[in-house]
Amino acid sequence: MALEFIVITNNPLVQEKFADELNVDYEDIPFRDVLCKVRDLIHKGHRLLTHPLSGSVKPHETPYKSVLVTTKPSQMDLGEVSIIENAIITADKFAEKFPNMPQSVKEDFQLIDCTLITSGIDAVLRR
Amino acid sequence: MKLELGNIIINDIQFTNEGSKVENGVLTVNPEQIKSLVLEDSNIESCEVFIARPGESVRITPVKDVIEPRVKVEGPGGIFPGWIAKVDTVGSGRTNVLKGCAVVTTGKIVGFQEGIIDMTGPGADYTPFSKTYNLVVKMEPVEGLKQHDHEYALRIAGFKVACFLGELGRAVTPDEVETFEFDTITEGAKKYPELPRVAYVQMLQSQGLLHDTYVYGVDAKRTLTTIINPLETMDGAIVSGNCVSSCDKNPTYVHLNNKVIRELFKQHGKTLNFVGHIITNENVYLADKERSSNWSAKLAEYLGCDGVIISQEGFGNPDTDLIMNTKKIEAKGIKTVIITDEYAGRDGKSQSLADADPSANAVVTGGNANQVIVLPPMETVYGHLHFVDTIAGGSANNIDAHGNITVEIQAITGATNETGFHNLSAR
Repeated sequence: MALEFIVITNNPLVQEKFADELNVDYEDIPFRDVLCKVRDLIHKGHRLLTHPLSGSVKPHETPYKSVLVTTKPSQMDLGEVSIIENAIITADKFAEKFPNMPQSVKEDFQLIDCTLITSGIDAVLRR
Repeated sequence: MKLELGNIIINDIQFTNEGSKVENGVLTVNPEQIKSLVLEDSNIESCEVFIARPGESVRITPVKDVIEPRVKVEGPGGIFPGWIAKVDTVGSGRTNVLKGCAVVTTGKIVGFQEGIIDMTGPGADYTPFSKTYNLVVKMEPVEGLKQHDHEYALRIAGFKVACFLGELGRAVTPDEVETFEFDTITEGAKKYPELPRVAYVQMLQSQGLLHDTYVYGVDAKRTLTTIINPLETMDGAIVSGNCVSSCDKNPTYVHLNNKVIRELFKQHGKTLNFVGHIITNENVYLADKERSSNWSAKLAEYLGCDGVIISQEGFGNPDTDLIMNTKKIEAKGIKTVIITDEYAGRDGKSQSLADADPSANAVVTGGNANQVIVLPPMETVYGHLHFVDTIAGGSANNIDAHGNITVEIQAITGATNETGFHNLSAR
């Protein structure tokens, strides 16, 4: 049986693309809050499946982030705690740059985040 | 395996209305030939061709790829296997190179794209491509073309133009011929038993759209870590499909001229025994990272390495791959030196990498990508300047009334390259 996972995201395109097929936890929240939400799940023993700093588009330059974690909690993994905590520390180094981003640019950022997480989803589902 | 690179030194590019040619160090190009070649792809609506010479007041942005024109004149295979040529193994015979010039492709795929090449001024010091004679190919897609198809169209168009120009050098006698030979494992072991055995572990960007690299036409994120002959890399086996945050991404030109490989060849038989080139990826799935770094360590051990050099491509997600590779290779008793760049904040005071480990104790840095630079206006812009507001390293309203652009050097193509192909130095 394939690994069961949740897509934690603030990207409406990911919600639109995968909501029918996968367990998508979408909330319209800031980038950093997505990372914190993932951190809280990792602390509860959910396993981190994809890297929270995926993509070369920097935190706060892109407003969107999607991360895969396992649906069921198991043992907390210290290596994964380190990855998500470091991701939050790293994100905090970058100030928000484009508060008034045009819709077309937002959509491009949504697309990039969506392709990054799709590569993770494809890897988990082995397709 | 033996590869000869026949360098035809190019000192200028000129336009002509007649046939394109290479003569007396001048690349003469009929732009209509380039346009008709590019417009063979029905996904490209329009194409413009420009020349950008070192020292001219020209800015090229957003840069998609930089490609060195080449032609295979002897031996098996062809240029860019899996894309332009068939997938025959490259890395032997003779390849002629139009040295000193480059094809620079530009076109808007997404609204936050970047990659700046200034041909003069303070920005020019930060990009190696201010020193090359550049044929700039600006392309616009047909209405409604999806970004994946758009990226593909620009990538292939760049390769086609580079091969067209390279072909002009087929019958030209090179100004110099560089010869590189790479021994088999057993030959090398017999020749230099007293020298430390050193391999190169090259990490390839492999995360998704605008973040991909291809090996013989295969998407690197769909590969297992493997061994490639460094001569294959020097002969076009690896090409770029990425350009986001362009300071530490490897354009195709950099893969062809990888400085780590060149330096290892220089030291081979003198201070070390260069035993292999391991290529690995930087996927977003953590299990892929574990698997790929396990294989890096396994292959480094299999090659009997005493030491490896690891180069990263990118920042953030690949920091984790970098540290996994380092930890696991060091755990095999093999020394590592890593090449990375830093995002240490504009003041340089923050932690440089998103991951770390005590075993990563020999580090070469390509510089701090958050370093701020002011780029004065250029007389001519080839491409689209209005994206500078929304690029990595830029910020809203970062162009002042005089046209000065304040950006972090991460917006400049190749500024903090992690294979040593750049100008920053502490010397």
